[in-house]
Amino acid sequence: MDFVKAGVEAIIEDEVTKRFLAEELPSWNLLTRTNKNYHYISLKVTILWGIGFFLRYFVFLPLRVTLLWLGVGWLIISNAAIGCLQNGPLKRWAYWHASLMSFCILARALSAVITYHNRENRAKGGGICVANHTSPIDVVMLASDNCYALIGQRQGGFLGLLQRGLARATSHIWFERCELKDRVLVTKRLKQHVEDPEKLPILIFPEGTCINNTSVMMFKKGSFDVGGTIYPVAIKYDPRFGDAFWDSSKQGYFHYLLMMMTSWAIVCDVWYLKPMTRKEGETAVKFANRVKSEIARKGGLVDLMWDGQLKRTNVKAEWKARQQEEYSRLIKLD
Amino acid sequence: MGNKSSLVLKPEEWEEIKQETGFTQNQISRLYGRFTSLDKMNTGTLGREDFLRIPELAINPLGDRIVHAFFSESLDGTINFRQFVRVLSRFRRIKESEKDKLNSREEKLRFAFRMYDLDDDDKISRDELLAVLHMLVGVDISEEQLASIADRTIMEADTDGDRLISFEEFCATLERTDIEEKMSIRFLH
Repeated sequence: MDFVKAGVEAIIEDEVTKRFLAEELPSWNLLTRTNKNYHYISLKVTILWGIGFFLRYFVFLPLRVTLLWLGVGWLIISNAAIGCLQNGPLKRWAYWHASLMSFCILARALSAVITYHNRENRAKGGGICVANHTSPIDVVMLASDNCYALIGQRQGGFLGLLQRGLARATSHIWFERCELKDRVLVTKRLKQHVEDPEKLPILIFPEGTCINNTSVMMFKKGSFDVGGTIYPVAIKYDPRFGDAFWDSSKQGYFHYLLMMMTSWAIVCDVWYLKPMTRKEGETAVKFANRVKSEIARKGGLVDLMWDGQLKRTNVKAEWKARQQEEYSRLIKLD
Repeated sequence: MGNKSSLVLKPEEWEEIKQETGFTQNQISRLYGRFTSLDKMNTGTLGREDFLRIPELAINPLGDRIVHAFFSESLDGTINFRQFVRVLSRFRRIKESEKDKLNSREEKLRFAFRMYDLDDDDKISRDELLAVLHMLVGVDISEEQLASIADRTIMEADTDGDRLISFEEFCATLERTDIEEKMSIRFLH
């Protein structure tokens, strides 16, 4: 009977699928997009909303778009120029400054207001930085304060342009989609990069997909298998000013950027946590879960065991088997 | 743009649903929002796969039976919002003042009965009971043990000696169980 109740409760509201939708706000923040059940409140509120709309679309937006072009332009030009330099300390110094500058401009273009905490724990070369993932702009948030080597799938279009630009100036790790499935290859490339202290720390999002910033989902163990120091980072966006979550099934990337640039602001807190390393005899999975709980605790997020890939695929049969085992144990005790 | 739950129900339909199910306006709105978010293809109806996409339901051993309960009134394998809400209303808590609504004790018991009655013939046979036990425990308990549990259950419940459990016998067995508590869910607002 309890199974029946639990099942119907899951139909009404479940812990997993709601993480893949934008968070519901307790009170309206004057953005139409967060107004799920529209009912007319009063003339004053509508006027306020109208003024807000005007401000956001006709004052903020043009400013931010200009900044965006500036930022992207500078990123590409500076990276191309630095790419011509010989590998060495001068190149690294130049890259550090150019990169920070371009990402700061890009962050402003997205109307970001970022507060960094515990900056002494920032990632250093030869390590891996892990963070919870809400959207691709997480990269911009983090790269405005520290330089990272990025890892990801090779994309086409606008993002691909950026990727190629970045690759000229310093080593990033870009994969073809088919390569991503080859675990051994991925681990090898990660190891190679991590063992070189001259290289920048790699930025990885172990959830593997965008979650709506109310919870942290299962961390894939691949990055925790490589060795080296892990620098955990917790990112929490304040949903009252703008929703940073990218729902890739509902919005294209440009549409998403437009939403970002017409919000009030993207306010976020970035906590740098103390570096962690794998203990003797600790499995990669346990280590991943340990790091995940730390990040969830610091960011005030719910720590879930579920896999973020459930956004696209169905649950594996073994989870059901686990439930059945539990029940058998109950009956045997009868 | 975005996921605004555009209310395509007419006002008269809202009233009818309120009358039929006893939900408040807010509760119906929320359930409608939930219905549309489960309806990934935007067809206005839900199919079985839409339900089984919910991970917590998919791993529930009785998940398939629960989904089946929603589709008992469906002709083509899909349900619309009204059918969705009607089934859910059975899990509303019983209020003192209401009588003969969809969430009465009898309706709740009938929902539970349908979990076991696989062929919808209003009787639970030994085989059906065995099949449901299989769903619940998977492979961890042996056939003989499951068979003996099934036999014992039928012996205790079957009062008219036909080796089948009818709805009345089912209700009698659960007379002392607090069905209102076990089969009621708190709906928000």
